[in-house]
Amino acid sequence: MNTRTPGRAEPILSARNIVNRFGKQEVHDRISLDILPGEIIGIAGGSGSGKSVLLKTLTGLHRPNAGQVLLNGKRIDTIAPAEKASLIGVLFQQGALFSSLSVAQNIMLPIREHTDLPREGQEKIAAMKLALAGLSADSGIKFPSELSGGMVKRAALARALALDPRILFLDEPTSDLDPLMASGIDALIQRLNQSLGITVVIVTHDLTTLFTICQRIAVLVDKKITVATLDKLMRSNQPWVHEFLHGPRAQGAMAARKHSHGNG
Amino acid sequence: MASQSAASSSLTVALSDEGTSAALQGALDIRTLTEAERSLAHWPKKRKSGAIDLSGLSSLDTPGALFLCGLRNRGIELTGISTEHQALLDLVCGLNLKPLPRQASIPRWQQVIIQLGKGADDARHDIVDIITFVGRAASAIGNALIHPRGLRLPSISRHIEETGIHALPIIGLMAIMISIVIGYQGVAQLRPYGGEDFTINLVAVSMLREMGVLITAIMVAGRSGSAFAAEIGVMKARDEVDALKVMGMDTMEMLVVPRLIALVITLPLLTFFSDIMGLFGGAMISRFLLDVSPLQYVDRVRHAVDVSDLFVGLVKAPLFGFLIAVIGCMHGLRVRGSAESVGQETTRAVVKSIFVVIVLDALFSILFEKLGI
Repeated sequence: MNTRTPGRAEPILSARNIVNRFGKQEVHDRISLDILPGEIIGIAGGSGSGKSVLLKTLTGLHRPNAGQVLLNGKRIDTIAPAEKASLIGVLFQQGALFSSLSVAQNIMLPIREHTDLPREGQEKIAAMKLALAGLSADSGIKFPSELSGGMVKRAALARALALDPRILFLDEPTSDLDPLMASGIDALIQRLNQSLGITVVIVTHDLTTLFTICQRIAVLVDKKITVATLDKLMRSNQPWVHEFLHGPRAQGAMAARKHSHGNG
Repeated sequence: MASQSAASSSLTVALSDEGTSAALQGALDIRTLTEAERSLAHWPKKRKSGAIDLSGLSSLDTPGALFLCGLRNRGIELTGISTEHQALLDLVCGLNLKPLPRQASIPRWQQVIIQLGKGADDARHDIVDIITFVGRAASAIGNALIHPRGLRLPSISRHIEETGIHALPIIGLMAIMISIVIGYQGVAQLRPYGGEDFTINLVAVSMLREMGVLITAIMVAGRSGSAFAAEIGVMKARDEVDALKVMGMDTMEMLVVPRLIALVITLPLLTFFSDIMGLFGGAMISRFLLDVSPLQYVDRVRHAVDVSDLFVGLVKAPLFGFLIAVIGCMHGLRVRGSAESVGQETTRAVVKSIFVVIVLDALFSILFEKLGI
């Protein structure tokens, strides 16, 4: 990986001068971010730095106090919901699977709402999405409450992929998972990115995810954003970024990067 | 794939005359899939082999690729495919695909019988649970009374405020409304016999003996029984109850006893308040429908009702309060894990406590009738 250089291409999603504030507290101060088609970009930052708010802003779930978000060159709040659904998929932190529906029904719900496929067709596609997310067809009839943490993430990922979105947003995809499961999710994200050409935006503070699969990293510090490749960020003299990327936990993640890049 | 845009979501299927080759043009995605399936369902007709030219395909998504895999498995050759689409096709065809398992469907009549059995079993468990819980709560209260340190006065007073003082406006309003309803019906029914003055007796007696305590208990069950179940349920779901246990604190003593004592104190007081408001509503009815002045009304009420009427109503209140609190707390503690279970248990607590209140009230009516009170 990292062989692809996402340069010069038109951004698929771009945020311009985003300002977000809650009451008197300002979270984002004129943030701009361009996301290029086909890349995996990580959004990092300390707790409370506004990562989740940025994700909500980028997906159009939260309207910023100022600035705008352009999806394929169009303002995101002017895009029809059905069209937006086929462009954007979101994996929420807790999965947000509908608890009253089985996993397969969860995947079929957006397909049923937005297409006129017959039921067998929907089921075939649901089974395929499950396989794509690394789940067996048997887990399709299970209910979200019967799934383990890693399976919930995979099922939610399968649902996020239901309409073959162009951009996949992942909110903390590896949190609450054991390291093996987390690596599995990382590998899955990478595979989907490479084989489906899907653009991936990951909000995370899992350093291993950031170091091993993200081509660029956006760091939120002091209401501002810094976007660069890992190598450039490593040389940053911003105190928080330096501490974040050179701290004790970063050493292990760096080793993982060397390992995965050595093998890849 | 990269060139996909929403506007280009159209597909043309061109079938050649000989029926052995076809060409797909445009986008083969989830929106055009039905179209493609319909066109190619019975193709190729006679011979088993055929070829599809895919060079005109502008975009392909995973359902489209799945469809092409299906064609390939039927022995149809796919030609002219771009490298980008080939990669996607390889990925999707390479998946280990199995159909979703079918769940054995149970006939409707069997479901009804199963439901019936489950319902009966649940009811049995419920009854045992309530009896057990009442016993545990009683022993915890006894314990708290012997060792007054276990009696948490701040907690009790907070619950009295929440379940009692905050409920005053709504309960007062309800009592006035109910007495107006009874008053109107009384006047309408008694007037033909010239006995509309007895409406005052009807309102006063029925408010004091039955309606006052009943509407108060139902209101409190809906307001506070549900609050108890939800508060404790959320604590249970977030492991707060386990945290209490680990730190050596007794859940019954910390969570249940204060609520129980609070409601046992509050409900009689609220009932008394509701009785007074009911009589006030009766005064309004008398003033406007019967032209009886408030002073005359007080005089009539004094003759119509006895202290025993008030007592018959009030004596039920502590018991109702106790049961509402027990049922609310019990269901709160029954919450298992998820947030949706909090909702379920809260609903059950309210339904069950209202049911218990009404059943007991009916039994009390019979009892007092037999005792001649």
